[in-house]
Parts: sequence; structure tokens; C-alpha cells
Amino acid sequence: MPKKPTPSQTVGPFFARELLWKDGGTVLFPGRWDRITLTGCVFDGAGAPIYDALFETWQADSTGKFPAGDDGARPYGYGRVSTDTEGRYAIETVMPGSFKGPRGETHAPQISVSIFARGLLKALQTRVFLVPLEAVKDDPLARAIGDPERLRTLIATRDSKDPKLYRWDVRLRGAGEAVFIEY
Amino acid sequence: MAERRADDVHPPYLYPDYKSTRLRAPVQPLVRVPPSPLEVTGPAFPKAFVKESEADLTTWGRSAPLGEKMVLVGRVLDGDGQPVRRSLVEVWQANASGKYPHPVDDHDAPLDPNFLGKGQVLTDDEGRYRIVTIKPGAYPWQNHAFGWRPAHIHFSLFGHAYAQRLITQMFFPGDPLLAVDPIFQSVPEAGRNLLIADLDLEHGIEGVALGYRWDMVLSGQRATPMGV
Repeated sequence: MPKKPTPSQTVGPFFARELLWKDGGTVLFPGRWDRITLTGCVFDGAGAPIYDALFETWQADSTGKFPAGDDGARPYGYGRVSTDTEGRYAIETVMPGSFKGPRGETHAPQISVSIFARGLLKALQTRVFLVPLEAVKDDPLARAIGDPERLRTLIATRDSKDPKLYRWDVRLRGAGEAVFIEY
Repeated sequence: MAERRADDVHPPYLYPDYKSTRLRAPVQPLVRVPPSPLEVTGPAFPKAFVKESEADLTTWGRSAPLGEKMVLVGRVLDGDGQPVRRSLVEVWQANASGKYPHPVDDHDAPLDPNFLGKGQVLTDDEGRYRIVTIKPGAYPWQNHAFGWRPAHIHFSLFGHAYAQRLITQMFFPGDPLLAVDPIFQSVPEAGRNLLIADLDLEHGIEGVALGYRWDMVLSGQRATPMGV
């Protein structure tokens, strides 16, 4: 008899001193890799910045290998920051590589993202792609979404001047609403 | 709004009585996909990440914090009832007056210089955890007229897989504020009792601290999180 899961509740507005890690926006990996920054803003249904979101990331390294272990102090591969007064988050990390699924399908270079906030009774989960739309079409999530306009909400755009900078804004509700997933 | 599964104990995203959901809940249905091979793995927290002293929230200051001292014990289990071993449990809470040491907490109640209200612990090989703290106070909030949050302790869990990540709140038995709290009431009726701790006096400290017990269940099983 499977057990019922514990219901989710909101993280609330008061978590910054409790949950944030020193340098939580710098994602650690063993070895040396080219570093990139994923940054953008989180907006609500009225277009206002969400200044009190907890933004967490989990990703593969640049070869598509999943992080295992730690540097002695913190786990590899995990990012954890809050948004600021402009709704902005920034994750400094490595470019994720593509990886294979159990049936041989290819997952395009992506970062798994969880957003928690006051007013979110459960986490919003999604995946952001760090390659252009044309390069993600065979990804399992991209196929499940279908509609390219909706898929576009999950594509980070590379900055034209700074190739190490990827921009991704997240709208939680309404026009331009990002695709969120459930398992 | 996303459709609901019949056995779902989780709250919906949109719950209008909790006002902050109105502009933050997505309108579009969620896209259902299996967790990716990445998402059935998760971060490994080294032993050094957690100090043993962080399981006791009452020893942070120069002397004991104000409030009713309590011991909370419980287990973290997966959907098959198997222990989730060596996984990170983070807790945070208001002090006995219902005040958080946070600049945007405008509740006109005293801070307690001996209470920081945060702790963390790794579950043991049986999935057990134990924390020592004080019972948090209820506090008013501006969601609706005369609104007060029932006393609660925030929990953040990592489980074994990214896909098991959970943030929730634990409440106290017999609290009359539960019936009028939109955040607690957002949980479907079948799930509400799962958020309430049991009084468990024997796990307290004789003459010193009340005992409570609260188990948590994460989605999926260890070998195959989320049924993948």
C-alpha cells in the first residue's frame, strides 16, 4: 500500500536568512570547465517582478555527466539563490551537456529549475534549454510541449555581446507564461 | 489551472483565499513528463555540510530562548514506506512571540536574541531525524482581516532525487487557527492530517521539553523515484 506523500506548502516570505547558502549562485563541479551565467527575472501575472522567490537549479556537467559527490563543503551541481528587488536571479555555472534517456532519446542541454515563493503552494518546476529552439526539437520535454510558441518560453537566449551570458525571464502566469512540468 | 489527480493531497496552485496565489499561480496546465535521468539523481550533501549542533535550535544564544521547549522526532520515508537515509532536512520557524528575524517581518513582536529559528539535520540510516526547538508562536498576517497564521515549523527536504524535492510546513495538534488558515486549508481534506504532528511525550525530555512526532513521505521509491 503506497503511502500518501506529505502535502506541499509555501516557502513563505521569510527564508533568505534560513535557506540561502554562501555563494549559492556559484554552481560547483569537479575539474575545470568554461563558465557561463544564466540570469533573468521572474514576473507575476501582472508583470511585476517577484522579489521573494527561491530559485534552485540542478544540471549535468559539460559532458552530460550527472553530478555526484561534493567539494567537501557543498554538493556539486546544485544552485540556490533568491530573486532580488527587480525579480532578478543569477546562476554562475558550467554549460550543461546533452544526455541520453532510458530509451536512447537525447535530452538537449538543459538546467532543471525549481521556483518556490510566497503564493506558490507547491514548487513550480521546469527545464530551461541553453541551445536555440531548432536544437531542442527532439528533446522529450520539447516533444511533450509541441507548440513552438510555448516551447520558446523555456529557451534561454545567448547575449549578442557576451557569449558567456544566457538570459531567461520567467513569467509565472498569463501572457508569455512559462511551461511548467509535473511528474 | 492545472487539472487535479483524484488521489492528490497537494494543494492547487490557485487558491483565491490565499491572496498571493492569484497573481502567481500558472493558468496553463502543467505538462506531465517523467523525471529525466538527471532528475532521478540529486545533490549529495557531505557530512561536513551539517554540524550536529544545528539540530538544536535552543543553544544558539548565550542563554535559553523564551518559549515552550520541545523535541520533534520523526522519519523521512518514500512512497513505499522505506526510509530515506542520509538526506538533508532543513527547518526554520518564528520565535515564541511569532516573530522572524527578517527585515520584512513587520509583526510588532519582540525578537529573541537567543533564538535564530533555523536548523538542519541529516536523517540517519533509518530515515530518522530529531530536532530540539521551542514551539513557535502564531502571528498575524495581512492576507485578510484578523488573519493569523497557526503556529508552524517550515521544512525543506531533498530526499534522494531532485524530483523528490519538497518544501512544506508542520502544524500542531488541536490548534483552532488551522480551521481558518487559508494556507493549511488549501490542502485537500485527505491530506490535512498529514501536516499535523502528534504529541509524543516519551520523546520529550522529562521535566524539560514536550515531545512531538512527525513523519514525512516523499514521492516515489528509492530505486525508482517517481515510478520511473
